[in-house]
Amino acid sequence: MFSQFFGSYLLRKEVITSEQLAEAISKVSETHIKLGTLAIHSGYMVASEVDEVCYLQSREDKRFGEIAIERGYLTEDQVKELLKIQTPYYLLLGQCLVDMGAITNTDLQDCTIGYESENELIDIDLSNESTDKIRQLIERFFVIAEIPVSEYSVMYMELLFNNLIRFIGDDFTPLTPFPCAEYPTNYCVTQEINGEVNCKSRIDMPRDVAIEFASRFINEDFETFDDYVQASIEDFMNLHNGLFVVNMSNSFSIELNLQPPAIETEDVLQLSEATFILPIIYPFGTIHILISLVDA
Amino acid sequence: MGSTKKILICDDSIMARKQLKDSISQCDIDVEFIEGNNGQDAVDLYKANQPDMVFLDIVMPIKDGATAAREIREFDNNAIVVMASSIGTQQQLKNAIEAGAKDFIQKPLDFAQVKKIIKAHLGGE
Repeated sequence: MFSQFFGSYLLRKEVITSEQLAEAISKVSETHIKLGTLAIHSGYMVASEVDEVCYLQSREDKRFGEIAIERGYLTEDQVKELLKIQTPYYLLLGQCLVDMGAITNTDLQDCTIGYESENELIDIDLSNESTDKIRQLIERFFVIAEIPVSEYSVMYMELLFNNLIRFIGDDFTPLTPFPCAEYPTNYCVTQEINGEVNCKSRIDMPRDVAIEFASRFINEDFETFDDYVQASIEDFMNLHNGLFVVNMSNSFSIELNLQPPAIETEDVLQLSEATFILPIIYPFGTIHILISLVDA
Repeated sequence: MGSTKKILICDDSIMARKQLKDSISQCDIDVEFIEGNNGQDAVDLYKANQPDMVFLDIVMPIKDGATAAREIREFDNNAIVVMASSIGTQQQLKNAIEAGAKDFIQKPLDFAQVKKIIKAHLGGE
């Protein structure tokens, strides 16, 4: 899950703008990782050496690896090793931002080191994600937004991110959540959980984004904003909140009541202080999750 | 292949009903589907049609799945009621079984699971 938060880290460090991030996310699927980016990330080369090899590449008709070996920056074995690495999403996103000219290789080098040390990441493929580290990451995400964190809200968010990865795709970036008094709706589905923990959750997105979201969720190509698309968004919410209710029962023996999902009819929502908005950028558009979670 | 079976599907999501219908249609049985979108529909449609099998969502408007299952079993003690839901807490499973559900199917639906349930209760391949 660390990959998804790299974009919001770059925004927080004011290295890029949200427009640049959205553009990079929409281009990331077409981006191929470059050997230079992997070499920086593996610590075999520094950004200035990669820049030098890229410059030489523009003058000589040779591959990056060949020049890097000639200059003594990489060995043949290192090149072979780098070519086998499964690229994590956040490096691809970083590469995309470099290709766009939004950041330099040096920025990327500094930011990946900063991001990895902030989250104590060691493995390049991030396969050893521990639950504790993910919880810390989510907690930090709320602290930065100056939103109070409770054990249940961290659980709720962790499940949400996992469900997005599992059912919609891992190619998203959550932006820092923020409180909001008024919210103009697009297509908005709402659902309540009542009991010892009370949660009102909403998912909102424009119709064209809903078509793409539903297509991914159901694994069918929807073309119009029809009843099936609308029901699919409700189903996602119901599935996510249903799993939360199950987890609360299994982990804490807390039995909660889940209300059926409903379509929000208000054009502009008046929100309580406890509500925060979490924008999530996918290549096909941005969805907004509105959550108000209160322990009774 | 036997005679046409009547299957009642009650779920407030048109998408969930479609997915279940698509899966059942791939099983080797002749089926006539009856659909409802809340728990009260489930009870009324069961009484009116007396289907061979009924799939109920747990969380539904007007009347929840467990209450509908109980009322259906009161009307017909042999009713084959299957709860279909993403929600499967031990308590809810217990409620569903106490209400008379004969089986439980987890959403998102898995075709193999649907096929197994259809075969167990209605036959077919």
